[in-house]
Amino acid sequence: MTATTPPVAEPLTVRRARLWARENLFGSVPNTLLTIVTAVFLAAAVWGVFRFVFFTAEWEVVDANRRLFFVGRFPSDETWRIWVVLFTVAGLAGLSWGLWSGIGMKLAALGLGGLALVFAFMAEGDVAWSTAAIVALFTGAYAAARWLVRTTGYAGPARNLAVAGWLASFVLATLLLREVNTALWGGLLLTMTLAIVGIVASFPLGVLLAVGRTSTYPVIRLFCVGYIELIRGVPLITLLFTAKFILPLMVERERELSLLGIDVTFPGVEMDDVLRAMAAITIFSSAYLAEIVRGGLQAVPKGQVEAAKALGLGTARILGLIVLPQALRAVIPAIVGQFIALFKDTSLVVIIGLTELLRAGQQVTAQPAFIGKQAEALLFVALIYWVVAFSMSRASQQLERTLGVGER
Amino acid sequence: MSVLTETPVQRLGAALRPAALFGLGGAALLAGILLPLEFALATVIVAAVAAVLSRNARVQRFTVQAAFAAAVIAVGRILIDNLTFHLDELNLNAFPFLRVTGEFPFIEVTRDFLRQRAGFDISESSFGLEYTANDSYWDAYMVGLANTVRVSLLGIFLATIVGTVAGVARLSRNWLVSRVATVYVETLRNVPLLVQLIFWYTAVFLKLPTTTEGVNLFEAVFISNRALALPWLGTTSGFGLWVLLLGVGVLVAAGVWALRARRQEQTGRPSYPWWWAFGTFAVIGVIGLLATGTPLTYEEPELVGRSYEGGLQITPEFTALLVGLTLYTGTFIAEIVRGSIQAIPKGQTEAAAALGLSGLQRLRYVILPQAMRIMIPPLTNQYLNLMKNSSLAVAVAFKDLFDVGRVTINQTGQAVPIIVLVMLTYLAMSLIISLVMNTVNNRLRLESR
Repeated sequence: MTATTPPVAEPLTVRRARLWARENLFGSVPNTLLTIVTAVFLAAAVWGVFRFVFFTAEWEVVDANRRLFFVGRFPSDETWRIWVVLFTVAGLAGLSWGLWSGIGMKLAALGLGGLALVFAFMAEGDVAWSTAAIVALFTGAYAAARWLVRTTGYAGPARNLAVAGWLASFVLATLLLREVNTALWGGLLLTMTLAIVGIVASFPLGVLLAVGRTSTYPVIRLFCVGYIELIRGVPLITLLFTAKFILPLMVERERELSLLGIDVTFPGVEMDDVLRAMAAITIFSSAYLAEIVRGGLQAVPKGQVEAAKALGLGTARILGLIVLPQALRAVIPAIVGQFIALFKDTSLVVIIGLTELLRAGQQVTAQPAFIGKQAEALLFVALIYWVVAFSMSRASQQLERTLGVGER
Repeated sequence: MSVLTETPVQRLGAALRPAALFGLGGAALLAGILLPLEFALATVIVAAVAAVLSRNARVQRFTVQAAFAAAVIAVGRILIDNLTFHLDELNLNAFPFLRVTGEFPFIEVTRDFLRQRAGFDISESSFGLEYTANDSYWDAYMVGLANTVRVSLLGIFLATIVGTVAGVARLSRNWLVSRVATVYVETLRNVPLLVQLIFWYTAVFLKLPTTTEGVNLFEAVFISNRALALPWLGTTSGFGLWVLLLGVGVLVAAGVWALRARRQEQTGRPSYPWWWAFGTFAVIGVIGLLATGTPLTYEEPELVGRSYEGGLQITPEFTALLVGLTLYTGTFIAEIVRGSIQAIPKGQTEAAAALGLSGLQRLRYVILPQAMRIMIPPLTNQYLNLMKNSSLAVAVAFKDLFDVGRVTINQTGQAVPIIVLVMLTYLAMSLIISLVMNTVNNRLRLESR
């Protein structure tokens, strides 16, 4: 009898890897071929990108122009205004995260906090202290909120306060930033301003339009259908052009009218370029939001409205307390998707001459030292857009899961 | 109200009520538009007060709508009043397409203003449209429209292919393939299209070597920053006749298809209607080719000095726009394809497998027909988006509809009519795409029931 040497036991991880590879990569002949072809292309692509990013590319163009990318030509003496807004946002984000921990709010809060950090890193000069202050504010507010929730019973009022705080911060930011000529706003600052104003303004408008479209009043319904379909049928840049060239002609005129015997003066509205872009983006996005919200409204069972009527609620209360909360909850992922689209669409304002992030990326390659560095500058711009849009979409998925949309 | 107790007067009243309401509404509308602005604003206030005070549901229904309509009219009037006021200051006519005449119907549609000499060049045109700077604005606009249509159609076609491949690849059991598809979708979907377009144009296609140093494959394919030049088919005098013959071929092939399909249905034996139809069409096409005396010629591009002649030349502007639109929209279509396939219950695949269908057959006969039905409405939206996004051509110097409109505005200062015209054109194209896709959707739905 010959003594057979027992086979050396393969380490478990190796065997698992081998099994996994056989199952997922080399299951059959076509599959193996597919794997090999893909791998070759992938290797070539990865090598190309690697070589470009680490050897060919000269990132000096980005480093030298950080300020332009992030705040444009915003005057240095006025940068403190941005800092104050960022401190407020960081504090509120930390607070909200602590108060609402458990639902996707924490991701949204993290995203906002992260954004504040991005600005912090990118502003010129001595940013160490400011960055530290932002981190400290964020974590401090978070800890305070956690303590509040755990040890005292004041979570409810605190939440109301936090919501009020967010609204107040919006007003504060408007008051602070308004002092600087909007022609000097630029870079990511302008991109984010356009996106946030667009979101805040188009959301209520979209809800109103959706409610109007499902209204039983034909006049109102007709108006809303016309508005929504007209706006959705044309590209955003035609609206931006309208806002740039026609809208000012429509609103910039002071008029005096005699109304039922009383003299009234209608002041003309002065619209600078940023305001025009905001108007176009809001008008555009609200039509798309309206269609999303309408989907949510249709998903609310009819019995809900009937039950509310039976309880004696009026139209406004039925809408505000019964229908809208359910409708909006059902379409949160789609709404976030629309906000992501809106964020990406803000890049279109370069066509009407605003110097937001993308325009900054084009401007730097006109500097004598960086001519021909379009690839570096544009990739950097693309990366920033990607980080924000991708984290928003991830946050939306998280939110969908925690809310259990569609799984009730 | 029951029919039994209805008096003739009541019946008459019921019949007249809609007419009365329409009449009243129309009169109010006209009054709001024609009477002084003060009146329109006063109407808003009166109707709003009435709406707040009214307690009767039917009355309230009327007053609320009246207040809303009055408000819309008043705001619209203020805006348009201001607009015409400012345009008068600038000596411009708000709507030069409409002219008031002395005879019935008193208003005439005119394109006079677009008949002036355009005076700007357009670097490329589609579908063989001829254009020089001496032609009119209207001709320029048509060239722009043709360019938009060409890039949109090609983009829709290519994006559908890219999207379907990527969507199916994301569901592949091959780990590497699905990962690559995921990275493609998640990267390009989250970067604005405009950034991608400008990247393709300024950082890729314009960075290609010049014509003299460019890629030259077998003297047939040239790649440079001037153009991508490919061999193409030229046409001779017999081309029109041949196309006519091809049309006849399609009809005959359709007849053959119907015959074979009926045979298959009646006998139950496979009769390959598609192969028969295709064969018939090919035979007629080849016969026509020979009969009309080579209506098509093979044409290779040539490098003459610093530019190309002959063949098919694709400008970097067009390529950048097409690549950008295709890859960007492809990511969204991939998500739609993936979602639609995943929405098909697993039992369908299992049942098909139990019937002995192969993997490809399962996809072709069971999964895709069902997934298609879910796919069409969101796919329509993506096609519409692609068409509207093609207006970003302005960023890569491709002369599309919007860009021609923009140049016309710059030259004439006529922002209002041109923007209205551009918007209406896009609206019309949106409508056409929606109509086509709705027809497809209805056909698919009918077949399934």
